[in-house]
Amino acid sequence: MTQNERIAKLLALHGLELARHLRRLVRDSDAAQDLLQDTLLRAHRALTRLGPGANERAWLYRIATNAALNYLRSRSRERRALERHAGEVNGHGSWAGWEGETDERRAALWNGIAALPERQRVAITLRLADELDYQAIGERMGCSAEAARANVYQATKRLKLEVT
Amino acid sequence: MKSLTAERRADERIVLGVFDALLARRGEPIRYAMMTDTPVGQLGLALGPGGLCRLDYSSDEDRFLAGLLGAFGDRPLIRQRAALDGVMRQLDRYFSGRSLTFDLPVDLSPVSGFAKRVLLAATRIPPGRVLSYAEIAGKAGNPKASRAAGNALHHNPVAIVVPCHRIVRTGGSLGGYGGGVENKRWLLRHERAGSW
Repeated sequence: MTQNERIAKLLALHGLELARHLRRLVRDSDAAQDLLQDTLLRAHRALTRLGPGANERAWLYRIATNAALNYLRSRSRERRALERHAGEVNGHGSWAGWEGETDERRAALWNGIAALPERQRVAITLRLADELDYQAIGERMGCSAEAARANVYQATKRLKLEVT
Repeated sequence: MKSLTAERRADERIVLGVFDALLARRGEPIRYAMMTDTPVGQLGLALGPGGLCRLDYSSDEDRFLAGLLGAFGDRPLIRQRAALDGVMRQLDRYFSGRSLTFDLPVDLSPVSGFAKRVLLAATRIPPGRVLSYAEIAGKAGNPKASRAAGNALHHNPVAIVVPCHRIVRTGGSLGGYGGGVENKRWLLRHERAGSW
């Protein structure tokens, strides 16, 4: 198999779910496409090094998540992305306890999230906006479900202190 | 709230964009899925804009995928089970015996000439009937070309739906089958085409 065929294979197998993952993280289809492209090239290099038997899907998710984080950081678009997350959380009323809040308090919440340490911020964003369980959050961040739960817990604790 | 299909389309646009930019594969994608647990083992299915373009006996998804990448070298390729739902429903009906015929558009465009005429002639053999290699060669326009007809049938890209299993040797033996002679025997018995 040539390099292009190997990349095509990864894209055929995992492209749709990675596109969704990236789109949800960065809230921008064009950026998601660039990031998916980048992810495939990096993952292909990593997987060539690792050889057969490596968990392709886990690698792809981890690389995609890191690529998305770098993007959000470097473009300092995370604030806008978070605002859009807030709009959507608002839209379908998820996260029991925050529906019925005023717009001001919601804005304060998402400002609070933007100021959290990186891993807490990602964990709670995946929890609130994507409504993932801890196992799935752990898979996307490359850590255990327990670590994901701890990050969400720490984030929630800090937000309660700051927002209330 | 955005609908699920709008989300799917957005995801698909991204994937197609990457196929184009990174691999110069463009146009309508080929969508594929694996169908497990059939009476004849795992099948790989692929659907192009013209219809079902691949139905392979394939215990190994990697190999099926590699075959598609080679056969449709300029097309994007997406694993998408939902797109193959209709095809799988018809296959389920076939395997359960509720209907032995298919109502599916089939795309044989990678095949041409005599080989294509052989495959088209095979699609006209009803379930429960068989032809010999010489007979199918004759229906394709060259009764002397039974070996070439056998070769075309062996390379049938859409097994079962294009029923190459309904061609057997003169004299009553089964002949070969790309998907394994045991599967050919199962299909013919299932269609009540004699006591094979």
